[in-house]
Amino acid sequence: MASTMALPNRRSRLGASKATLYAGLIGLLALSMLMSLTLGYKIYSLGQVFGALFAHDGSETAVVITGLRLPRALIAPLTGAALGMAGVMVQTLSRNRIASPDTLGLNGGASLAVVVGSVVFGVQSLTGLSLAAAFGAFITSIVVFGVAASAGGLSPLKIVLVGVTFASLSHALVEVILTSNEAQLQQLLFWLSGAFVDRPIGLFYNGLPVVLAGAVLGIGLSRALDALQADDSTAAGLGVPLAAVRGLAFLAVALLTGAAVSMAGPVAFVGLVVPHAARRLVGLRHIHQLPAAALFGAVYTTLADVAARFVIYPVEAPVGAITAVVGAVVLLVLLARRAA
Amino acid sequence: MAELAPSRIEVRDLTLMYGHDTVLDALSLPVPAGKVTVLAGPNGCGKSTLLRAIRRLHQGQRGQILLDGVDIGALGAKDLARQIGLLAQSPSAPPDMSVEELVRLGRYPHQAMLQPWSEKDGAAVNRAMVGTGVDTLKHRRIGSLSGGQLQRAWIAMVLAQETDIICLDEPVNHLDMAHQLDCLDLVAKLNREAGRTIVLVLHDLNLAARYADQLVFVHEGRVRALGRPEELMTPELLAEVFEVDAAIMTDPVHGRPICIPRGRAKAKSVREIA
Repeated sequence: MASTMALPNRRSRLGASKATLYAGLIGLLALSMLMSLTLGYKIYSLGQVFGALFAHDGSETAVVITGLRLPRALIAPLTGAALGMAGVMVQTLSRNRIASPDTLGLNGGASLAVVVGSVVFGVQSLTGLSLAAAFGAFITSIVVFGVAASAGGLSPLKIVLVGVTFASLSHALVEVILTSNEAQLQQLLFWLSGAFVDRPIGLFYNGLPVVLAGAVLGIGLSRALDALQADDSTAAGLGVPLAAVRGLAFLAVALLTGAAVSMAGPVAFVGLVVPHAARRLVGLRHIHQLPAAALFGAVYTTLADVAARFVIYPVEAPVGAITAVVGAVVLLVLLARRAA
Repeated sequence: MAELAPSRIEVRDLTLMYGHDTVLDALSLPVPAGKVTVLAGPNGCGKSTLLRAIRRLHQGQRGQILLDGVDIGALGAKDLARQIGLLAQSPSAPPDMSVEELVRLGRYPHQAMLQPWSEKDGAAVNRAMVGTGVDTLKHRRIGSLSGGQLQRAWIAMVLAQETDIICLDEPVNHLDMAHQLDCLDLVAKLNREAGRTIVLVLHDLNLAARYADQLVFVHEGRVRALGRPEELMTPELLAEVFEVDAAIMTDPVHGRPICIPRGRAKAKSVREIA
């Protein structure tokens, strides 16, 4: 009896600390978005920012803030949230803590689609290339899922092996196409390393519903994903329909990754790093892991985008380079710890 | 004794092929209600496969498995999981999962999508952790547990499922003697005090004979013999099924039969090689 009585207390205490945590992350997100609006090649005051956002006067400052700063202050966190959630699901699906949309080949497939769209089909507009990227992520997830699922069932290791193979293949094809088309190289290079610069705000409005759909699907699957963290026999013994849950979760991952790449290009390693932070903050249950990864991913990507404006000031570094450096360090630490 | 109890589960003509290999060959087996049934047999005889087949986890299995007279093919996955719990052989979960998070997984079949966690779920998880003695470890990561603690945490996960029937596939593998007894005594207590129907796969014949109400010898995908341990633990059957030449004695403490193998049963193994 004493132990059952203790239960509500413990839960409310945990609940309270999680609520504080979420509030803290939301506060950090607001702060990082304000930094994204104010800091850069030119530094604006909060007054200038709010003036430009709420009383558009057509001044040069207002044009820069609403036309350049605002899109990236919205697209960066949405991309980070999408990649964070996609990373959580990919790591659960593959039961592999160093898996991410990158290692599943989704970013590679999206990049290949962009290069093919640009070089082969002459797509020029940013929106056109974005659509190509999203399409590429979708097709890749279907191919990787399909190949991994064929011949004797879907194993976590096989998903990653197929994904890595497909990622190498698409990178090789991208290099072949770009090497034979020097003129396109400079234009596409910036996209291919991932960035939030010069993205029209329309990309945010295109991406938002797709990211929301992926998030809702993921949250709906959260209990089944919890059970999928155990081995297949255990999960099936609990009554989890393995194939259906995996299929739907991959759909959610494709929606999230496709939206992210369509907005920002392949931003490396966000999907690898963010889930680790989320699990440390809220534990392994997906009903908390997914929202925490979304918030932390949003903050992380937005701050990386701010940092990208200053590391080689006055020139902008691609944010994908920043996240790749951070991600590589985290990956090495994870590998070293696993080996220890 | 076992014969008198009505069957909870009735396996009829169960056949399962892996490619061209017949793993289960028209196997039939009654599982009596409220009893401990232990499946024993040599490696590769199909006993683990049989346990998984009872939970309908194999593609392409043929034959019938009746649960209280109803074909389990007619039951949904969650329905079935509310009635039969399964602890897989060497189960795995992320090492940074907490004991409580692991045990909570057992509530999956009781929850609809997005239905909030209920007091009933919480009480079931708590009972399972207290019953297995892991309640004091609930915030520990499972990667930091000893083998015995980890096995109790997994059993707690299956208990939180609150099923009348519990299947455990070699639950005492890799445990030392004291923890083997802890684990099996816990299972026996669940059977005695809560009236659960238990199906166990055990490798150790003496442990099998000690804890079984109904002992089942599985051999080459079929049930070779079943009955009380005293009926099955005979030199002839052990020679045929396990290919050992063994002396059978009665355990002076529990009054159950125990076997002492002298060596391989020569005649049989020569025939096998030829």
